[in-house]
Amino acid sequence: MSFDYKFQTFEPIKSFKGAPKPEMYVPGHRTCAGCGPALNYRLVAKAAGKNTVFIGPTGCMYVANSSYLCTPYAVSWIHAQITNGGAVASGVEAAFKVMARKGKYDGPFPNVIVMAGDGGSTDIGLQAMSALMYRGHKVLFICYDNESYANTGIQVSPTTPYGAQTTFTPPGKMIPEAKKLFPKDPPQLVIGGHPAVKYVSTTSIAYPLDLMNKVRKSLSQPGPTFMHMHTPCPKGWGFDEKLTMEMGKLAVQTGMWTLYEWEDGEYKYSHLPKEYKPVSDYMKPQGRFAHLKEEHIAKMQAFIDQKIAHVKATAKPVEAAPPAAS
Amino acid sequence: MADKRYLTGCSAAAQAAKLAEVEVVCSYPIRPYTAIMMELAKMVANGELDAEFVHGEGEHAQLSVVLGASAAGARAYTGSAGVGVTYAMELYSPIAGGRYPLQMAIADRTLDPPGDFGSEHTDALSFRDQGWIMGWACSPQEVFDNTLMGFRIGEDPRVMLPQAICQDGYFISHIPDTVLVADPAQVKEFLPPYKAPHPLSMECPVSHGPQIRPDQGAPMDAQRAATFLGLPQVIKEATADFNRIFGRNYDPFLEKYKLEDAEIAFFIQGAHANTCRQTVDKLRQSGVKAGMARLRWVRPWPTHEIAEALGHVKAIASVETSTSYGGAMRGGNLIHELRASLYDLDQRPVVTSFMAGLGGETIWPEDFEYMAKVITQMAKDKKADQYVRWIGFEEE
Repeated sequence: MSFDYKFQTFEPIKSFKGAPKPEMYVPGHRTCAGCGPALNYRLVAKAAGKNTVFIGPTGCMYVANSSYLCTPYAVSWIHAQITNGGAVASGVEAAFKVMARKGKYDGPFPNVIVMAGDGGSTDIGLQAMSALMYRGHKVLFICYDNESYANTGIQVSPTTPYGAQTTFTPPGKMIPEAKKLFPKDPPQLVIGGHPAVKYVSTTSIAYPLDLMNKVRKSLSQPGPTFMHMHTPCPKGWGFDEKLTMEMGKLAVQTGMWTLYEWEDGEYKYSHLPKEYKPVSDYMKPQGRFAHLKEEHIAKMQAFIDQKIAHVKATAKPVEAAPPAAS
Repeated sequence: MADKRYLTGCSAAAQAAKLAEVEVVCSYPIRPYTAIMMELAKMVANGELDAEFVHGEGEHAQLSVVLGASAAGARAYTGSAGVGVTYAMELYSPIAGGRYPLQMAIADRTLDPPGDFGSEHTDALSFRDQGWIMGWACSPQEVFDNTLMGFRIGEDPRVMLPQAICQDGYFISHIPDTVLVADPAQVKEFLPPYKAPHPLSMECPVSHGPQIRPDQGAPMDAQRAATFLGLPQVIKEATADFNRIFGRNYDPFLEKYKLEDAEIAFFIQGAHANTCRQTVDKLRQSGVKAGMARLRWVRPWPTHEIAEALGHVKAIASVETSTSYGGAMRGGNLIHELRASLYDLDQRPVVTSFMAGLGGETIWPEDFEYMAKVITQMAKDKKADQYVRWIGFEEE
């Protein structure tokens, strides 16, 4: 019953400069300039290291990455359909377990990581993701969230913010605010109903040390883990490509995005602003919100104020988080 | 030594999967195939089989789980029936295109609507063109045998293709019959352990399933087509080995029953062949030179073997337990490729089809006798007056 599968564990990285040098996500992709998800992939792969298998459901990180004969993955990678990242990962994990038991594989148990977009996590891929979390496979499921179906030409997804313009939610005189719905909350979907999950976290590419350490903590768990990763998309959101990191920071500083860990029922926040900036600071530089009127921005502010109130209610005194890289 | 037992088709499949030492099994319930998974679940719980038994959240997930398992290097097994087979439709092409030689057991079932538990071949046939090896058994013994043969053929380094091992729901899946359960030593001799050529590996990183440019598509498709061209030879070798090791007498592609001097013949796959065979005997007693060709593998389709086995008969009744609405022959599926297989012959038999057994109905001996009567007349007329007749809808 108690077979030693040689699960890997990872020490925290103390400083950004002290991060592992080897790159596991290397040149060879053709993502847009300033692509948040590509930066994110590089940080995740760096933190995970060589004993890793990525499962890549269809999405930007498949379509813009995996050109035949020049993929950017220095570790093993397998495409999954946009529907089934969680299920393919379950099969990979199950195979390594049985092969280890039967002596067909005797290396360290791989970091099995699903790199799924918001559609592949929370929309068409939700069922497979949830089933993986429920069954308790030792897999890290990442939702890299660029808040739309981006590679198909920026269509609305369940995590597209209220008020955002996409090619399926154009603003018009009948629907002036473009997207009318408020987004799904992916980590809460996982936390709310999957008893096998003990660790869930959220990250932003603008806080890379925090990000890499959450990856390493996730990969050190014996069971399933989920990460919701904020990955700004210059093309989809309509901001200047040099502002990707700035958008990441502004999201956290305005409360549009909150960095936290959920571990065994406890929330732990990092980089909480002392004073939140107004959401308009985040929205103004983004073309996808350009059509909004004051009343819509006020509606967004009210939605975020509620979230901030919830954070304040559940926040314990924050322990000093490692400094962010500048 | 082989163990003689009384098993349903589902039990036979589970016993064979156990002897094949499947490593990752993924289940989801749907009648009638479910009993296969129930038995495997027990074996895993009892410690008779060391496998990861994953409860898929649906058929789409089942096929996805075994895809991942096969890519990582494990021998993987799943199954389904009816609308479960079609719910997983997205995955058949990636599994075949990824050259993952996993196996899917199908105890077939009608598609909805209306809801019906009965056998019909349309479910599996709906993905016959996606690059899988596919064939029907006509007895629990043949289910057992095809399960082992499927892994051996599919995992052959010259092949590397998934297999759909089909059996008729209820007629085979739930009616017990004598099955020789092979000795593990026999299975070991026949079926080497699965070794994936390029598994997901930490030592030798690989990328599975990247995006290609349009000009890279045709070479890959051509390679898969070429694999299918070489497949009959592999099936012949595997069948010969199987017959030698297990003491059977299978023809690789077609069961040829009393065909040598036949003037009329039935063309059929699956369980109803058992009734058909008896009808052939009865017809022979009354002086009608009847025979039967039963298809063992619908993919790869044995074009030349069919032409060789049936070229000399005068008229053929293609017995159709599947639907092809709006198809060239207005009825089922098999007749299309049957006629195509005979087209290049200088002297072609007359070929018609009969829709029978749909919805899981029994095809009775009288039905086969009626078919024989119709095609005997066609043989005389040297012409098929209709492409298709629906059994039970015809006025005598």
